[in-house]
Amino acid sequence: MSTAAANSTDTPARADAAIQGDLLRSARFRMEREQHWRRLDALVTRAEKQGAASLSYDDARDLAAEYRQAMNSLSVARDISLDRALLAYLESLCSRAYLVVYAPQETLAGLTRRLLLHGIPQAVRRSALPLFIGFLALALGAVAGYRLFMDDPGWFYTFVPPDLADQRTPDASAAWLRSTIYGNEHHDADGLTTFASFLFSHNTRIAILIFALGVFLSVPAFALTFYNGLVLGAFFGMFARRGLGFDLFAWLSIHGVTELAAIAIACAGGARLGLAILLPGLRTRREALRHQAHDAVKLVILAGLMLIVAAFIEGFLRQLVQAPAWRLAIGWGTGALWAAWLLFAGRPAKAAVKTPARPSP
Amino acid sequence: MKQAARDQERIEQFTPPEGVPVNFVITSLGARLGAQCLDLLLTCLAVVVFAVILAWSNLLPSETEKMVIVLLAFILRVPYYILSELVWNGRTPGKRIVGVRVINVNGRRLTPHQVTARNLMKEVEFFTPLTMMFAAPFMSGWSIGLTLVWVLTILIAPLANRRRQRLGDMVAGTLVVDNPRTTLLPDLAVSLAPAGATSVAAFDFHPDHLNVYGRYELQTLEDVLRSPADGINAAETARIARTIIRRTGYDGPVPPGQERAFLIAFYRAQREHLEKLRLFGTSRENKHHLATPPAAGAPGAGKA
Repeated sequence: MSTAAANSTDTPARADAAIQGDLLRSARFRMEREQHWRRLDALVTRAEKQGAASLSYDDARDLAAEYRQAMNSLSVARDISLDRALLAYLESLCSRAYLVVYAPQETLAGLTRRLLLHGIPQAVRRSALPLFIGFLALALGAVAGYRLFMDDPGWFYTFVPPDLADQRTPDASAAWLRSTIYGNEHHDADGLTTFASFLFSHNTRIAILIFALGVFLSVPAFALTFYNGLVLGAFFGMFARRGLGFDLFAWLSIHGVTELAAIAIACAGGARLGLAILLPGLRTRREALRHQAHDAVKLVILAGLMLIVAAFIEGFLRQLVQAPAWRLAIGWGTGALWAAWLLFAGRPAKAAVKTPARPSP
Repeated sequence: MKQAARDQERIEQFTPPEGVPVNFVITSLGARLGAQCLDLLLTCLAVVVFAVILAWSNLLPSETEKMVIVLLAFILRVPYYILSELVWNGRTPGKRIVGVRVINVNGRRLTPHQVTARNLMKEVEFFTPLTMMFAAPFMSGWSIGLTLVWVLTILIAPLANRRRQRLGDMVAGTLVVDNPRTTLLPDLAVSLAPAGATSVAAFDFHPDHLNVYGRYELQTLEDVLRSPADGINAAETARIARTIIRRTGYDGPVPPGQERAFLIAFYRAQREHLEKLRLFGTSRENKHHLATPPAAGAPGAGKA
């Protein structure tokens, strides 16, 4: 600091000095440091509004220094000052500064990249048992639904909610059923795309529900997935009885591979939560829940992602692509891409394998 | 006393590496409900406005229009909360208005996984029961009963723990706290002194006068003096001044109309006295300190 500058700032300070001599110790303490607190306040406010990334190098350095000084002031003020206004100010200023310094915010771009490249695939590879449970629930449900329907078609009305069946009942003729599979605009004129987006919204909600209910020992998650399997099995049985099994298989494959896998994965997420409660291992149950939730949440995000892709396939491609062979190819091709991503992405020190982060529908 | 204990209970304390604990006030359930309702209102409004604009502009075919709106209505549920809490570091627009925020229970960075987990649980805790409430007329007896049990469990959870965590908070390990607001009020001992500078000297306090009250009374007096001038009338001020004179045994003259100046002078003297005692290790919580074992004698004279 130059002497001229020092003098110019000193003169009013000297004038204050006479008053200061008469001041309380705590008031002097405050007067000496108030400038710094206000500077910190300004920095913290800016970091809160625009994120810590908006601070320049100097600002960031100042933030750290001023933060430490303010913490020091708080510690001293708690001991020497009885001025409530001062204490309240320092308490709240330090709390805010603490959050800015120690609890900064994630950037959304980095987060997405990390999630897609390592987070999700690694979480999937760690969840073999829950995934097995999820797919098992779906498969068992499908087999049971199929067998029950074959015994007595009346089960169909028990399993399948009427809004989902959409006039496709066991009483419908084979020709009509066939037309729903190879439907065109003239047939399903009343809002197929709307129906698809409704289905997506519906499916996603079911997936979230399946996941969240997993907390209750994963039984509800298993049951809901099983029920979804039942619907699927009964549906399949209905078409198979009319000799349309293969056609339905192709029709379901194009989006179902992705969609049903998503449901099973959501169930796996729920199962992870349930397993944490059932088998906490060396942790307490709450700790185990928190630990397992990390991977469980990633599984659900994956399920959501897959449901979005499934909705796009369902909304656009299913009507465009009519040949069963193509439907099968697209459906299982998408499935293979998912599998490749989940199995190979984010493996350490295996630079050779690079799969696209997301299969394009 | 009980109130103080309850206030203490609602404080969450973190000790950063600097070693100075910082405090956060845990948000009341009313404020949280308010924030939630605001968010709900905002999202519903957004959907409606968007739908009206779409319908009015006639840009898209009605099929696509419906699809877009259904998708939007979905995105404005859980994804809205996740994204807004990620972007604004634990503050959805509703929470910003109410002035609360979500923080990590260990005081460190709020991780994306936590944000996702707590908001996924929101689907179970908030949206599904809400939907069921509208569907109640069409439900059978036992399913209504089941829903009631569900809702009760959800409602009891935040009431049953000290940190007011809902189920989602417990799963994610998060807390909702009041966003600290900082306003620096002027120092009474400094700002008010010049106004009555001449009269301040007129009041002389003996250490005996200052040995009666403690921290609590001093800070109550501070609140009184800080309340806006019209908030407290002259008669009230005079009454407080008389009480203080009676209790402390102050024997100097207090001319009528000078009561406020007297209170300010007394505040200053009392604060100086108590702060000095504190430096020497004697902290007086309130006026009952005389009833408890005798405090160490005040070293030296006060301002006298």
